[in-house]
Amino acid sequence: MRYGPIIGAGAMISLVCSWAALVMAPQLQLGALAPAPIPNTADFHPATRPGLAAQGAEVYRSLGCQQCHTRQVRQTAILFGARLNELGTNGVNLSVPGSGQTNVVNLDLLFALAKARPDLAINPVQIPSALAGDTNIAPKLDQYSKDLALFRRNDEKAGIARPGTGPSVNELAGKLPADVLVKVSPEAAERAVKLLSEAGGKAELVIYNLGPDIERGWGARRSVARDYVNDNPVLLGNVRVGPDLAGIGSRVPEKFAAPWKAATTNSAVEIEQRLLVHLYNPRLLAKDSICPSASYLFESKQPNARYSGQSLKLPGNDARVYPKHNAYALVAYLLTQRGDIGLPEAPVPALAAKTSPVKP
Amino acid sequence: MTTVHPSSHTAPGTAPTAVQVEAASRLPVLFLSFSAIAWLFGGALLALLASVQLYNPAFMEGCAWVTYGRLRPAAVNALVYGFALQTTFALALWLIARLGRVELSAPLGLTAAAKFWNVAVTVGVFGILAGDGSGHDLLEFPLYAALPLFASYAALGAWALVALHRRTERNLYVSLWFMLAGLLWFPWILSTAQGLLLGWQVPGVLQAVVAGWFGQNLLQVVLTGAAFAVLFYFVPKAVNQPLVNPSLAATGFWLLLFLGGWGGLSQLAAVPAWIPAVSSAANYLVIVPVLALLGCLWQTVDGRLPDAWRVNGPFRFQLVAAGLLLVVTLTKAILGGAVAQFTFVTVAHKEVIVLGVFGLAALGALHHIVPRLTTGENELPSAGLADLAFWGAVLGVLGVAIGFASAGLGQVAVGADASKDWVKDGVVGIAGNLKAVTAGYAAMAVAALAFLANFGLAVRRCCAACWGGDR
Repeated sequence: MRYGPIIGAGAMISLVCSWAALVMAPQLQLGALAPAPIPNTADFHPATRPGLAAQGAEVYRSLGCQQCHTRQVRQTAILFGARLNELGTNGVNLSVPGSGQTNVVNLDLLFALAKARPDLAINPVQIPSALAGDTNIAPKLDQYSKDLALFRRNDEKAGIARPGTGPSVNELAGKLPADVLVKVSPEAAERAVKLLSEAGGKAELVIYNLGPDIERGWGARRSVARDYVNDNPVLLGNVRVGPDLAGIGSRVPEKFAAPWKAATTNSAVEIEQRLLVHLYNPRLLAKDSICPSASYLFESKQPNARYSGQSLKLPGNDARVYPKHNAYALVAYLLTQRGDIGLPEAPVPALAAKTSPVKP
Repeated sequence: MTTVHPSSHTAPGTAPTAVQVEAASRLPVLFLSFSAIAWLFGGALLALLASVQLYNPAFMEGCAWVTYGRLRPAAVNALVYGFALQTTFALALWLIARLGRVELSAPLGLTAAAKFWNVAVTVGVFGILAGDGSGHDLLEFPLYAALPLFASYAALGAWALVALHRRTERNLYVSLWFMLAGLLWFPWILSTAQGLLLGWQVPGVLQAVVAGWFGQNLLQVVLTGAAFAVLFYFVPKAVNQPLVNPSLAATGFWLLLFLGGWGGLSQLAAVPAWIPAVSSAANYLVIVPVLALLGCLWQTVDGRLPDAWRVNGPFRFQLVAAGLLLVVTLTKAILGGAVAQFTFVTVAHKEVIVLGVFGLAALGALHHIVPRLTTGENELPSAGLADLAFWGAVLGVLGVAIGFASAGLGQVAVGADASKDWVKDGVVGIAGNLKAVTAGYAAMAVAALAFLANFGLAVRRCCAACWGGDR
């Protein structure tokens, strides 16, 4: 080659190709992403950070926390399930008067359950001797016995080898809510929900977000692009020297090292205290942690200046330290990291339970 | 009457002699080389201190300036901008002057531009330590360092391109393809990335996308390309054969340019799945140009490897660099996707490209260039120090690479299985591997010091010769 400009032009074309594909195209796809409304509330996710948390984001960037902590939860798969919540109104009441026990059986539902779960037995329903003369119930159970015989013949024709004994759909329907199908394909789960709903039961589709990150309790779902639309700079992190922080604001403090679980019992104050102690000296909470101490965010003596925060009690001794403003800001920022709020593109189990419509 | 083309001021008959070419490039190339290796020393030292904190958190605890989150990016940026890119400039200027047979104009001004680059890198490193880092991978320098950095590059790059334009040897050798592409590529990606991140501030994960794209282009095209420029100059020279099969080299060159910039986003999780998928595929495709280019060199060497290893000092460096390039390209394809996501394996890949593939190739080249520009001999004054630099650098790179990679594989096992204890298996369990990283950076710093000492000896001998009137 003799001509430099040819190399220059070729280089520019090559670079523009990768730029168009990997910078321009994502910008077109994601550039207009906005926070999504949380169903049944007036809130949006991700929410705009309050002032203190916004300052904390700057502390997080300045100290380089993203060098060791990612803020991206991964998910290897999403699977579905069907859950039966109520028997419906078309059940047969087999409760013996005066016994104090209610025993309602939805006979249609038993067949629907048996169709959804070919691996379970379906048993005859015995009429309690006290109700044997009830003209309202006896014909229904007679009909059920006939239907059951027919159902079994159909099973045989279809080649379904249903066990005669062992766990049965009758037991499954006896204890509600019942997880009829767990971690199956969306088609199977939807078919089950449809069958159960048609039989008069109240069933719902549930989702299972799967993967080691979620098992560890780092978040209830995977992180998606929308989670970061309010961040600037966006500090995703790319090495997990320490645990992921995408959902640190919604974790149980006692179980800091592993496994993490979604916080349900701890107050925000407890979590804040926990995080402050961790910032002061991570080894006070996890003996083998290699997280560097941020003791420069604390003062050992009560400062003379007007003081907004309270002193921090350290576990294991009586010493007290006084968090500086930046320590509170960083903790406020961490507490805004929530991995338990669903988005349309990444639902969480609880949200799916509320919003997925039960099919008629 | 023909119009006079600027580049035809020097007709082939009046091409400068080798001595004139060397005289004009002496000051800027030596200055860039010396400060680059000084940055290698400084960067390795910072990285060493940071790596100790990975298994001994009490080390230098309690001071925000030297916390891991600041030391590590300071070290990486010092190594990339201070050492790698600065060495690239030195090599580019030297290769352009030598292969294009052209005198660099106004070498003093060029040296001043190089000085500004060093000032900008220093300001940037201290900016990161002071807590002003931008938080974007490989782009951590704060704006007040990034802008002077770009300005001083503009001067350096323009100088190099003008020199290339004025070359008297019109035919462009393979090395100059890579250098020219790199000299153009770097300002394009830097201005695009800084413009999008610090100027326009693209929203959300696009920032990570832009930073990933920039880092990949910098490592895979600019630095790997510069390593190829060095290999294509020195390997044929070491075996004393002309380059066999230049058309294969051309194919490899264009494919590397085209495919090199695509692979940087395979590690992102919180983006649409097609983005990491495209990047992972590109990491496989880029094997083709790398194999083509290395194959071209292999054909040229054609079995003369043991002889060249014995006789030629720089060749040793380049042979190891080529081997590392092969290894890193293959492992990056296999482990570049979701398998080794969020682990030290990715860190190992980056370090091998900066310190191993580029670093060793460049260090070898400097062992040839510096004596030519100072004493006029083929070797640096002290063979012992040259050996120390070689073994220090090779063991250093291996220590860093193996340490990070094995620690990363430990993290892969923990990350994939929630039943494993994060702290016990994923943090305490890999501490031993990370000690190899510390040793590696220490060896790297020793190698840099050995080279600098050798450099100093050569300069002393050169000065003594001049003042004594011998030379």
